Amino acid sequence: MSGNGAVWGRVRGRLRAFPEHLAACGAEAAAYGRCVQASTAPGGRLTKDLCAQEFEALRSCFAAAAKKTLRGGL
Amino acid sequence: MLRSGCLWLLRRRPPAAGVAVKNFGLRKVASGVSTPGSTSPRALNIFDRDLKRKQKNWAARQPEPMKFDYLREEVGSRIADRVYDITRNFSLALDVGCGRGYIAQHLNKETVGKFFQVDIAENALKNILEMEIPTVSVIADEEFLPFRENTFDLVVSSLSLHWVNDLPRALEQIHYVLKPDGVFIGAMFGGDTLYELRCSLQLAETEREGGFSPHVSPFTAVNDLGHLLGRAGFNTLTVDTDEIQVNYPGMFELMEDLQGMGESNCAWNRKALLHRDTMLAAAAVYREMYRNEDGSVPATYQIYYMIGWKYHDSQARPAERGSATVSFGDLGKINKLMSQEKKSQ
Repeated sequence: MSGNGAVWGRVRGRLRAFPEHLAACGAEAAAYGRCVQASTAPGGRLTKDLCAQEFEALRSCFAAAAKKTLRGGL
Repeated sequence: MLRSGCLWLLRRRPPAAGVAVKNFGLRKVASGVSTPGSTSPRALNIFDRDLKRKQKNWAARQPEPMKFDYLREEVGSRIADRVYDITRNFSLALDVGCGRGYIAQHLNKETVGKFFQVDIAENALKNILEMEIPTVSVIADEEFLPFRENTFDLVVSSLSLHWVNDLPRALEQIHYVLKPDGVFIGAMFGGDTLYELRCSLQLAETEREGGFSPHVSPFTAVNDLGHLLGRAGFNTLTVDTDEIQVNYPGMFELMEDLQGMGESNCAWNRKALLHRDTMLAAAAVYREMYRNEDGSVPATYQIYYMIGWKYHDSQARPAERGSATVSFGDLGKINKLMSQEKKSQ
C-alpha cells in the first residue's frame, strides 16, 4: 500500500462484495463444484477447461449479480 | 470491470513460478551436522522474511487487530496451560514470535517473574496486550536471537516458527539461550493445516489455468519435528497434535482473516497474481467439497505442540543396560512381590 491507499481500498471493496455475489449464484457454483469434484474420483483426470461450461454459467451469473448490485446500490 | 485482484500483499515480484511443486505441502529438512551460530550446510531460503515483517506490521496496524486474534488467543491459552502443568516457577521467560503477547496475558506473576517478548514486527509490539507480568519488548528475528547463552528458564513460541527459513537453526538458538534444566514449549502449524484451501485452489487453478503453483506454505511433518528437536539438543521431547476447525461463511472470508492475522503467503516461489476467475472457481469448489450442513465452510488448523528440555544432571536419565533388579516377566506376580516386601520389612 503506497500513498493513501485509495486504489487498494477500491479493489478491496469490490473484493469484499464477492461473497455476496457468489451467494446469489448458489446453483451454478454447486454445479461447477460437483463437476470438479467428480474429476477427483479414482479414474478421473482434471485437465484445463474440463468444466468450462459450468464455469461460464457461474461467471455470467456472477457478473449479472455484480451489475445488479452496482446499479441497485450506491 | 475488475482488474485481476492481487490478493496476497506483495512488495517485490519474484519470477512467476507456474510449475507444479514436487512433494507439495511437505517441507524437506536439511540434514548434516551444524554448530550453533552457523547456518546449516544446505540452508533453505523459502520465505521472504522482509515481506513477512511488512505483512505483520500491516496486520498489526489494522483498525481492529483483535478481530483476527481468535486463533492465536486460543493457542496462547493452551500453551499457558502447559506452562502451568510444569510445577515450577520461572524467573525469566522468553516469547519468540510473540505477536501481541497472547501467552503472557494468561500467566501470572508467580509462575513467570519477567517476560521478554521478541517479534520481528514493531507494530505488534506497540499494541501489546495487558498483562500483569513485567515485560521487555525486543525486535528480533527468530533465527537470530540476541541473547547470551544460558539466560532463560523458559522459552515459549506460539505459531510463528512456521515462517522461519532455517528451522533447525532457530531451534538450536532457542536451545542455546536456555539455561540447563530450562524448558521450551512451542506450538506451530502442522502438515494438515488449511488443506481444504490448498486443495480447492489447486483444483481450481488446474481446471482454469492448466497448472497450479503453491499458495499455502509448506509445513513441517510431525516426524521431522521430533528429529529437529533432538538434533537441536533437546531432551525428554513431547510432541502432540491438536486440530482446531474454524467455520467461515466462505473462502473469501477465510482468506481475508488469514491476511488480517498476518499469515499471508511470503514464500519466494509464490505466484504474483491470483486471477479472479480462479478465486471464484476455488470458492465454488471449496463450498461444494467441504461445506458443513449449515452452509459454512470449515478450515482446519493443525497445531503441533512440542516440549523440550535442556539437559541437566538432575533430570531423569535412562538406566544403564544390565542394571535391572527385577524382570518384566515378574510383572504378573507384582502383588505377591509387594506383599512379600511388606512382610519382610
